[in-house]
Amino acid sequence: MAAANPDEHGDVNSEASPHALLTFLQSQSQNTLSRLYQKPSSCLSIFRLLGPLDRQLVMNLLWLDSAIPASTMNAWVTREGRKPYEASLGILSRLHILPSSPVKLALNPTFKTSLRQAITGGGTSGSFGVPAGNDDKHTTPSVEKLDAYALERWETILHYMVSSGSGRYPAKPSQGVLLLLQRSGLMTSPHGAALQITSSGFQFLLYSPHTQLWELLLQYLHMAEERQMDLVEVLSFLFMLSTMELGREYSTEHLSGTQTAMLEDLRDYGIIWQRKASSRRFNPTRLATTLTSSAPPLPTTSGSGGTTQSQGFIVLETNYRIYAYTDNPLQIAILNLFITLKSRFPNLVVGAITRESVKKALANGITADQIISYLTTHAHPQMRRNKPLLPVTVQDQIRLWELEKNRVKSQEGYLYTAFASQADYEYVLDYAKKLDVVLWESAARRCFFGSLEGHANIRGFIERRTAGNV
Amino acid sequence: MKAIRGILLTCDSAVKQILLTMNEKSSFIIEDLDDYHVVIKADEEWRVRQELDAELEKNTYSLE
Repeated sequence: MAAANPDEHGDVNSEASPHALLTFLQSQSQNTLSRLYQKPSSCLSIFRLLGPLDRQLVMNLLWLDSAIPASTMNAWVTREGRKPYEASLGILSRLHILPSSPVKLALNPTFKTSLRQAITGGGTSGSFGVPAGNDDKHTTPSVEKLDAYALERWETILHYMVSSGSGRYPAKPSQGVLLLLQRSGLMTSPHGAALQITSSGFQFLLYSPHTQLWELLLQYLHMAEERQMDLVEVLSFLFMLSTMELGREYSTEHLSGTQTAMLEDLRDYGIIWQRKASSRRFNPTRLATTLTSSAPPLPTTSGSGGTTQSQGFIVLETNYRIYAYTDNPLQIAILNLFITLKSRFPNLVVGAITRESVKKALANGITADQIISYLTTHAHPQMRRNKPLLPVTVQDQIRLWELEKNRVKSQEGYLYTAFASQADYEYVLDYAKKLDVVLWESAARRCFFGSLEGHANIRGFIERRTAGNV
Repeated sequence: MKAIRGILLTCDSAVKQILLTMNEKSSFIIEDLDDYHVVIKADEEWRVRQELDAELEKNTYSLE
């Protein structure tokens, strides 16, 4: 068995917030996690998703045969390090990697054995996938071909989402993908009509590909539970994929029933490639092998039009004009959500941010901040010399347009007026204030406006009062 | 005392003046509270918002 080399890929988690998957794992039962930890590939993948300090702690404890006193570990921690250390211990104990104990610290024995195995490369469990033997009839697909396939699949999904708002429908992703998009709340079909992108769907489009991929996979995991699929099998297959080698063929023979069923779904997402559905071998794509690493999940070099995935390509001028150096239809479609396109050249589109285009975006549920953050992340390297990055006039104007949309706020409720006396008024108002339902009040006019929710209570209160007076 | 069902609109004073002018054509205001608040009939809200949008749109100019 070939153990994947952890140094081959970079860290995925240099930022402070824990990975989305770790949050999901923390909510799982100890039993599920223990079964998951039997697979060396799962342990290695989870280890790679952990934060730097968590990994440091695990590494320190990994090769110890017996538990060490918690006080020994404490002695290493400086005063400033106390808080991050406690937080790390918290995460590790919720993941059941390092059971929390005030006296002795020792790694979960299952996790320890598996991670040791992953690093030293012992065992024949096949948890890192079983490479397929040579195939005389077909040649192994090249990395470029796999990249092109992954990119095409992934962009089909995003392109479908982005175009649904405009009424034009390009190539449709498979039924499984559509269901996933709908279940995750990224798209919705109002009154059973065609799928429409939702406000969170628009926000999703502006995320980085790695985040997008995991958001969909997390939703897939939630659905797996409902479909009576074994969560451990699903997770360990994803982890197996993430430790596989790009450009290598793997055999489907050792996969369990659940995992064979997953092949079809993962093919639709562009995570794996198969010659045909009945093929006994499969290739992971770059989307799969970067699941637990920080390497970009989509090829950055020119594939089928995907020229500038991670670099910036947008130049924004103070006169609201936008020059976007791209020929990628997906990126153009995303830009089209909030700019008015004017002209298009082989490698460049020119447009402008106008009141109409921003109003359209706002009506779709995109916020001004999201537009600004998208422009910031995708700004052209030339723009990076500007300080601030985006022209302030444009930023302010986008925010002003957002405010303009909210000039009138409406709240439904009841106006209470014509009180018999000032004492009456104050008495009822006091009660309404306790319920926290007063939206507006005026002592001079002796009336107040209460929200809809509070009405039943206030009416009851007044009725009791008048009944009591009689 | 009385309780009247309606919708409380919170707006700036410019919008408030437009609302008052609109009210002269077809009445929908239940109570004019102060510079920033009016109570209107609940079932008129959609129509009022449409008319108000159209009115505000007259004051903007587009490059197109």
